[in-house]
Amino acid sequence: MLSLDLNLVWNIINLVVLYLLLRHFLFKPVMGIMDKRRQIIEDGLRNAQDAQNDAMKMKQEYEDALKGAKQESVQIVENARSAAKNEYDRIVAEAGEKAGSIIENAKETVRVERERTMRELQGEIAGLAVASAAKIVGKTADQDLYDQFLKEVGGTHEDTDEK
Amino acid sequence: MRNNSFFCAKKRCSPAFKACPAHPHSFRKGGSNTGNLADTLMEELNCETVFTLPVLGGISESVVVTWIIMAVLVLLSIILVRNLKVENPGRVQLALEAGIGWAQDFFEGIIGKENRRYVPYLITVLLYLAFANTIAPLFGFKPPTKDLNVTAGLAIMSMCLIEYSGIYKNGLKHWVKHFASPVPVVAPIMVLEIVIRPLSLCMRLFGNMLAGFVVMELLKIVIPLIVPIPVSFYFDIFDGLLQAYVFVFLTGLFMNEEME
Repeated sequence: MLSLDLNLVWNIINLVVLYLLLRHFLFKPVMGIMDKRRQIIEDGLRNAQDAQNDAMKMKQEYEDALKGAKQESVQIVENARSAAKNEYDRIVAEAGEKAGSIIENAKETVRVERERTMRELQGEIAGLAVASAAKIVGKTADQDLYDQFLKEVGGTHEDTDEK
Repeated sequence: MRNNSFFCAKKRCSPAFKACPAHPHSFRKGGSNTGNLADTLMEELNCETVFTLPVLGGISESVVVTWIIMAVLVLLSIILVRNLKVENPGRVQLALEAGIGWAQDFFEGIIGKENRRYVPYLITVLLYLAFANTIAPLFGFKPPTKDLNVTAGLAIMSMCLIEYSGIYKNGLKHWVKHFASPVPVVAPIMVLEIVIRPLSLCMRLFGNMLAGFVVMELLKIVIPLIVPIPVSFYFDIFDGLLQAYVFVFLTGLFMNEEME
């Protein structure tokens, strides 16, 4: 029971043989399978991570592109608006200018016309005056009529000046 | 009749115990009862030489039981390892992988992931000890671990592994130097530790198994009915598995200490 003998050596040999046998028959296959599965899982995880990264990158790109397009469209609309405003201003200014010049022309025409009319009227009035004076002088010399005439002429003059 | 004890040991747990020709004197009444009990016990404790080889000498019972355990373990692994699949593993494979994975994690937790190469040996010892310690109630053999030769062999292997792992990890120079750390005065104690550690492993396992075996044998002789069952659960199964666990745990711990 308490003696050490050659059996010690047999037991050690047994243990080593058992270790070698189990390593060959148990640990190598089982651990190999477990490693393989771990490898597959890790690969799968890595692939999933890669795919997710790719997707995120593409999403980022799309978002950038979208944002660019939005900005561009805003820019385009802005440009169009400013161009339209310029055009509008120009047209309105032109129209105003044109209207002003037309009015000016009209005024000028009216003024010229009136002056011409007035000159004609003055000439006529003078003729009439001469004619009526000759008529009056020919018939009777009346102080009152004369005064009246002068007054009329003077009034005409004054009217003309006023206008 | 005495030489027949190994084969008779198989029948120890059978209800035919009373009819066993090896123990005709167990139930004799009278004053010689105590002496007979001691005789019976000594007979059970002896490690019989099963047969003698011409050159190599006697092969003891424990070696033969170890062969049987080896055969069972190898057969079991061959049967269980068939048809391993990476995907959709069967229930048996899942259980096997869970067991191996648990042991692997356990030992990697002790000696570190970078020293995985020692894990298979430690699992082998764990399996062997678990079988050897619990084989008595399960199959009726005498547990080989109650033979000092077996535990001494295991302890010597552990000693070799502990020192080898230290030398492999840190180099021979560091290994020689570490005896003198932290102060050279402790060197004799540190050198003694080489022997003390496996000695304690060996004696702990041997003492526990022997004590459990003696208690069980006594109990079986005194009260052979029902009472040994719960006691057997403690001394054979629980204590046996605990000692297997403690042995490999301490071996791993010493290796880790040596590899620091």
